[in-house]
Amino acid sequence: MTALDASSAPSRRVVPRWLTRPEIGLAAIIAIMVAVFSSIAPGFLSPFNAFAVARDLSVAIVLGYSMMVVLAVGGMNLAVGSIGVCAAMATAGMQAAGVPMPISVILGLASGAALGAVNGIVVVRTGLSSFMVTLATMSIYFGVMLLLSGAEAIRSLDADFIAFGRARIFGTVPVMFVVSIGLALILTYFYRATDIGRQMLFTGSNPKASELSGVPVVRTVVVAHALSGLLAGLAGIMLTARTGAGVPSMAGQIGRDWLLPAFIAPVLGGSALAGGSVAILGTLLGATLVGVLGSGLRMVNIGDFWIELFLGIILLFAVLADRLRSVWSPVSGTGP
Amino acid sequence: MTGVIEISAVTKTFPGVRALDDVSISLAAGEIHALIGENGAGKSTLIKIITGVHLPDRGEMRLDGVPVVFRSPHEAIGAGIGAVHQERNLVPRFTVAENICLDRLPTRHGLIDNRSIVADAERWLKTMGLALDPRQPVRELSVAQMQLVEIAKALSLRSRVLLLDEPTASITPHEADLLFDILRDLKARGVAILFVSHRLEEVLSLCDRVTVLRDGRNTAVSQPFAGLGRSDLVRLMIGRDEDAGSARNAVATEGAPVLELKGLSTAAGHRNLNLRLHAGEILGLYGLIGCGRSELAKAIIGIIPVTGGEVSVAGKPARIGSVAEALAKYKIGYVSEDRKGEGVVLDHSISANIGVTVWQRLARGILHYLSRARETKTVRPFAEKLQIRAPSLAVLVGKLSGGNQQKVSVAKWLVAGTEILILDEPTVGIDVRTKAALHELIRELADRGTAILLISSDMPEIVALADRIEVMNGFQIVGRLENSHAYADVSRQIMDAIHGAADQPQMAASIATGRTETAGETRGRMMS
Amino acid sequence: MIPEPLKRLALADNVGLATILVVAVAALAIANPAFLTSFNLYVVLTSLALWTCVALAQMTTLAIGQMTLSLGSLGGLVAVTVGGLCEVWGVPLPLAIAIALLVGLAGGLLNGVLIAASGVNSFIITLATFSAFHGLTLGLTRAIPFYNMPAALKALGNARYGAIPLMLGIVLVVAVAVHIVFTRTRLGRHMLAYGGNPQAALLSGLSTARIVIAAHGLSGLLAAIAAILTVGRLQVAQPTIGEDWLIVSFAAPIIGGASLTGGHVSVPGTLLALALLAIINDALVLLGVDPFWVQVVLGGLILAVVGANRLREGHRLGEAVAR
Repeated sequence: MTALDASSAPSRRVVPRWLTRPEIGLAAIIAIMVAVFSSIAPGFLSPFNAFAVARDLSVAIVLGYSMMVVLAVGGMNLAVGSIGVCAAMATAGMQAAGVPMPISVILGLASGAALGAVNGIVVVRTGLSSFMVTLATMSIYFGVMLLLSGAEAIRSLDADFIAFGRARIFGTVPVMFVVSIGLALILTYFYRATDIGRQMLFTGSNPKASELSGVPVVRTVVVAHALSGLLAGLAGIMLTARTGAGVPSMAGQIGRDWLLPAFIAPVLGGSALAGGSVAILGTLLGATLVGVLGSGLRMVNIGDFWIELFLGIILLFAVLADRLRSVWSPVSGTGP
Repeated sequence: MTGVIEISAVTKTFPGVRALDDVSISLAAGEIHALIGENGAGKSTLIKIITGVHLPDRGEMRLDGVPVVFRSPHEAIGAGIGAVHQERNLVPRFTVAENICLDRLPTRHGLIDNRSIVADAERWLKTMGLALDPRQPVRELSVAQMQLVEIAKALSLRSRVLLLDEPTASITPHEADLLFDILRDLKARGVAILFVSHRLEEVLSLCDRVTVLRDGRNTAVSQPFAGLGRSDLVRLMIGRDEDAGSARNAVATEGAPVLELKGLSTAAGHRNLNLRLHAGEILGLYGLIGCGRSELAKAIIGIIPVTGGEVSVAGKPARIGSVAEALAKYKIGYVSEDRKGEGVVLDHSISANIGVTVWQRLARGILHYLSRARETKTVRPFAEKLQIRAPSLAVLVGKLSGGNQQKVSVAKWLVAGTEILILDEPTVGIDVRTKAALHELIRELADRGTAILLISSDMPEIVALADRIEVMNGFQIVGRLENSHAYADVSRQIMDAIHGAADQPQMAASIATGRTETAGETRGRMMS
Repeated sequence: MIPEPLKRLALADNVGLATILVVAVAALAIANPAFLTSFNLYVVLTSLALWTCVALAQMTTLAIGQMTLSLGSLGGLVAVTVGGLCEVWGVPLPLAIAIALLVGLAGGLLNGVLIAASGVNSFIITLATFSAFHGLTLGLTRAIPFYNMPAALKALGNARYGAIPLMLGIVLVVAVAVHIVFTRTRLGRHMLAYGGNPQAALLSGLSTARIVIAAHGLSGLLAAIAAILTVGRLQVAQPTIGEDWLIVSFAAPIIGGASLTGGHVSVPGTLLALALLAIINDALVLLGVDPFWVQVVLGGLILAVVGANRLREGHRLGEAVAR
């Protein structure tokens, strides 16, 4: 042992590792925000507002997961908004045509999964980056949806469906929020304890090494994109249930209004853009932070307009802090 | 002798590995200084410290006796230090001339003066005896031509110090001789030259002093060659004598092969290639970098498309479309030469990296439940057998030393129960002890019936392990010999086979690519 | 057997695109004589002029192998800067334009500095600044446009000489300048060198941080020009300017032959791509096709051209491997 070895001993870590995880930071920021907002605006913690925030959150969480699952394999899906609207309009259209509600939802989700799978297939077949492919398909899907729907909103939805959007348990917890939490648990199981989920993370970390280890990389990437489409569809359908109408512009022109919320939740939560990791709790907290911030700023009358500025700055700080953490963290190398 | 550059007691640590430990070297004006060591001994890291790519953790660098710290290559170049690095450092879409002059593109009235770039580049190409068109994009060049352009680029800096990291790795002996003449000329003009090479014969004939690294430490510091022979250098590099290896029991190579290539052609450029591999046999495939060895392996396991001929496994034609298929259907495994890029996934655990090949088999039920306990139980015996040194199997592979990473890369195929194992440079860049352990393992696997295709450019390794040796050059088999395990004899036969083929470069090239003559080959001819 | 020169021509960068463009123009002129009227050509060329600087701005970041998502929101910020300065503060137009250009430059430089200093992926950094710039625009204006624009600015966006809009002249000058930057200046070549092989650029002694910052700065400046022209054209400084830039900003350079991984861009190719997009859009209108088809055609065109480029590259790659 040389002198250097002694000086770089691991005992130098002042803070335990779990405290430096992004989830802890997010939770702390959320707690501070809740405290600040509720002290300024007493209505912030009212059951009514809590219910409204939680219901908005539910959609944002699912949307965040739809991006997270494709980031996990090292790709991205710019078409989440487009697919979400397509699935939502398909579901709404079927309900308006008298298709039973459960079947309309299942087929709507299936259409989302199918559109996602098309993205995945084009990506693996052409070898183009998923950025380029989904940039193109977000436009195509949206255009087709407009052609089919005539850009008209569909308001004659199934009554049970709308009731689901408004349902609550224990007085304030929206059923939709329960759906999101259930989804989080399913995803946790999927990525931790199934071969397919772990193959996705492996592929995202190093596609070449994964392929050379016998991982069916092509199938894995297609499934990840299909899953992303499914979840984007779920987000669209949930939003439709919440608003009570299928609106072609609900995600903005070509679905671009969903891009920022879809990326911000997983990235704040600590999912690597390069792939190979998922932050399931982190994404949930990331979406929560965005929701709480938005609601709070509205309550204290700063208004909607400044929200994006705050979000941008928070996102910037989050990635820079993450960067600093990885630079500063002592290398716990195994000496020779 | 005081040096132009003096490095003393430099240490550099990367996550998980100490690349340099207390290393010193001194370069004098007007000398050619050899830097030798096995792959991964730290030669490239040392060069990158001198050129400002890496900052040393500890230690000192002096330039003309004055302590200096280079924070970027820009500063090092400014101080008169030029280098040819091992990685390709050319911009593919730029012309030869622009690449040579990249850091000092001359301008007239604010606009780049292309004519003077071409003139400048032409001068350096001429010095090198290269008949290349300076206006040609670099991406149209062959690997050897690119290497020569990089050397011209380094020369054009007119540095006082010139560092060459394996400049001869992919050029012909004739081109190398030209380079050596230039280096001797530069030496006479007082340039300090650091020369890294694997070829000890080159080093002995060209260099004045030598510094040897082993596992990131000096085993010789700026020592004159007087009295040092080839075997002394080898001992300094690997810490023991070159050993020819214990002869294994003769294996039956008469029977039916488990893997046979019949007239195989691939999208990478192999044409009509034949090869037979038997159960229990270690077949050595020797060839230099870029000769098509790894590409052949990748064609066998279904990564590179087969365009003609046949791969047959256990006597039956096999159409392998993916590694997953190679593994599941034919029990073929492949250990990549690029350990960090293709062999292991650094930010996943040891357990996952070994278990990945059997996840599908271990997952249960319609919920695909993959129990961590079952994975660990399956993986542990193999991790123990290979003596992977880590506190637990949950440790990330990125935190392991190179040798232990390589063990992980091998272990995953043992877990999967492969019967045909292709090992591509299995001991590159790992320490001597692990290397010996891996050699032992390879012998043991073969003794128990695994068919092993050992790809290596490490001559002692091939001679020590292989039963038979196939020599590859220019995407074809150019020699085939029984291994007598007599090093001097076998190594000469191998080099003869390669040089025999290299003497007709155009022919080899056109056979290798199988194309009709195009501009590329015409240029190739102009060069030689 | 196709003769070698012909094959080379077919594989050359812009020939395919130019051919498609000529065929499209000819077909459209035959199908609908209204296409060749002076007014219709003016409409097409105006669209080309409005999009040119948007595409060049993205092209500049693609050159170094990066991207900027904040292009559109920076454009919006620049637009309301011009509007606010003219309407609320009464700043003379030339000064307002100069300040607006500086805002664009500063926004781009900010992106560059953040990326170069942190080493974080340009996608994430510009996603964050996209949000920040957009929030700033909305917060400052409360989403209300500035309507009273100086006559000179309106003229800038609407003056025409027959079928030729004044703006086209301006953007062509800019395009030629950008072309010269990338073909004949040290900075431009260094950007492309960095995009083609960052490691090589570093080891050759180039200052990579400066290259990254300069590229994003130039990109911001071009976005600002695009925004100012758009304000002139619309005669209103809308905070929503830039919101629809994202797809076209990527589509045009990439269809024009730029590589998403960096190191290669083409100003003529980008202009040809924009012309093609403008003509297709015009054709859909002239032929009375449902305007919703625009989205489908645009997306399909991106996939088709990028896929074809990919095949062409693959052809070259195959050769490289074969050596």
